[in-house]
Order: sequence, then C-alpha cells, then structure tokens
Amino acid sequence: MKEMSRIVKTVTNFVYGFIVIFGFYIIAHGHLTPGGGFQGGAVVGSAFALLLVSYGSLNSGKFLKKDIFSLFENFGLILFIVLGFSGLGITFFYNFLANSGGWFGDAAVIGVNPGDMNTGGVIPLMNIAVGLEVLSAFGVIVLTMASGAEFTKKKERS
Amino acid sequence: MKKIIFGIAFIIFFSFLIVSAINMRTFGEPTFSEMDDYFIENAQSETGANNVVTSIVFDYRGFDTLGEATVLFTAVVGIVALFRGVKK
Amino acid sequence: MSSFVEILHISTLIMMIVASFLAVFFRKLLPSVVALAVASLLLALEFYILHAPDVAIAEASIGAGLTMAIFIFAIRGTR
Repeated sequence: MKEMSRIVKTVTNFVYGFIVIFGFYIIAHGHLTPGGGFQGGAVVGSAFALLLVSYGSLNSGKFLKKDIFSLFENFGLILFIVLGFSGLGITFFYNFLANSGGWFGDAAVIGVNPGDMNTGGVIPLMNIAVGLEVLSAFGVIVLTMASGAEFTKKKERS
Repeated sequence: MKKIIFGIAFIIFFSFLIVSAINMRTFGEPTFSEMDDYFIENAQSETGANNVVTSIVFDYRGFDTLGEATVLFTAVVGIVALFRGVKK
Repeated sequence: MSSFVEILHISTLIMMIVASFLAVFFRKLLPSVVALAVASLLLALEFYILHAPDVAIAEASIGAGLTMAIFIFAIRGTR
C-alpha cells in the first residue's frame, strides 16, 4: 500500500505518541480509573493501525515487527495463566496479594477517594498481562491484513 | 406462496418481540439485587481496588476473562493461518 | 436537568439512525465506511451518557478505529 499525503503524515507524527501514552496510562491505572487491560490494549492497537494506514505497509515495517508482537502475545497469555494458578492454595484465581503488605498489598481506604497506586493485589499485574496480550494481538491482526491486501493487489496487476 | 409463509412467520416473531418489549421492567430497576449489594459493599475491602468493575472482571469472575483472552488468541491464530502463504 | 439528558439521548439515537441509513445509501465505498464509523462513534457517546465509560472506550477504539482501518485495507486491496 502506498503512503498517504504530507498532511496526514504530519498529523500522525504529532498525535501518535499521545495515543500510545494514553493507552499505557489506561492499562497501568486499571484498578483506579475506568478502563482496564482490554480497553488500553485496544487504544494502543488503534494507534498502530493509524501508523500503518498513514505510512503504508512497506515504510512502517521498520517500526512494527510481527515476530516481536507474537512473542509478546505468548508472554502475556502465559503470565496471565501463571498468575491465575499461583493462587491455587485456596481457589483458582484467588487474590493472594491483596491486603498482605507486600507488592500492591496496601489496604484501600473505604469510601469515595482518589485512590493509591500501591493497592489492588494481583489485579494490576493481570491488567498488564492482558494489556500486553490484547495490544500485540491487534498489532498482529492489522499487520497480517495489510500484507494480505498488498499481496492481492500485486497478484491482480500481474 | 413462500413469500406469504415468510411474511406470516415474520409478523408472528415480530409481535413476540413487541410484546416482550412492552412488558419489560423500567430502566435501572433490576429484579434481584442481592449480588449487586454484596459486590458494592465488600469489593473495596476484599480486593483493595477502587474500581469495582475491574475487581469483578479480574478477581471474582477471573475465569471468564481467561476465556476471553483464549478467544482472542484463537482469532489471531486463525487469521495468521488464513494468510500463511503471503510473502511480504 | 432530566429533560436535557432525555433530549441528548433522543438526538444521539436519531443521528445514529441517520448515519446507519447513509452507510447503506451511499454508492461509493469510502463514504459508506466513514458513515459506519460515525455511527459507531455516536454509539460510544451514547454509552458514555449512560454512565459506562469503559464500554465507551472499547467501542470507540475498536468500532471506530480498527474496523475502519481493516475496511480501508480491503478497499485499497481490491482497487
């Protein structure tokens, strides 16, 4: 696919970093503000789609690599399953870090408050795992669809 | 003939939907609310997270989220297998 | 106050129906896809008015971002 005009590329250069930082903010603050792993991963995936549409699939191959995305996806899913199994002393998916005083283990203040980052138990770690998995899943889907459309166009020309 | 049968079946099915939409409860008043009251009362002290929706999705119903992640992984595997013969 | 919220609901839903009708009505492919994205974005606004912000974030990024990108890939590939 060919790249788009100069206006679209300039706006993409300006906006791309803000969208990625907003997505990672939603992932990291999933236990305090609305959103979570799935929503933040979808926002970062739409930023990858914006880069791929405006710069074309040949030029953006330097920035987005399919092998790194598939590696991150498998890592995220395995981390999520390991976090689920590590509470198996009581039940499956037991929140064994909450209110224990260690990592993310402080007790939350009851009532309406802005919240503390160091609470939530195992929930922030699961947010990061699911966010990594969804992000790289959407990246792989968009990259594969773009290369498939390019292949179809080249086959019709010849 | 086939069009008449399809039209009668469509009207019957649509009238069922209209009747069930008229008999629906008013907006924002569920029938049973013991589960909701338990979650709203105890989620903040049990899991320590301020966001009750995230604490339900990742802690109380974590097995459901595992199924969702598996569905997304299966979709990605299917798409990569569909375009497997494509070289750059 | 409640009447203002009701007017906002009804106008959002009417604009969504108009955008969905335009998505079917357009002859060219690219304006049709843009109208579909507008309908999805108005659905995200409706979710936000109904106090469900996380569903609104997911709907806006998937329905108006990724689906439109994949449709644009398909249109560019066939032409």
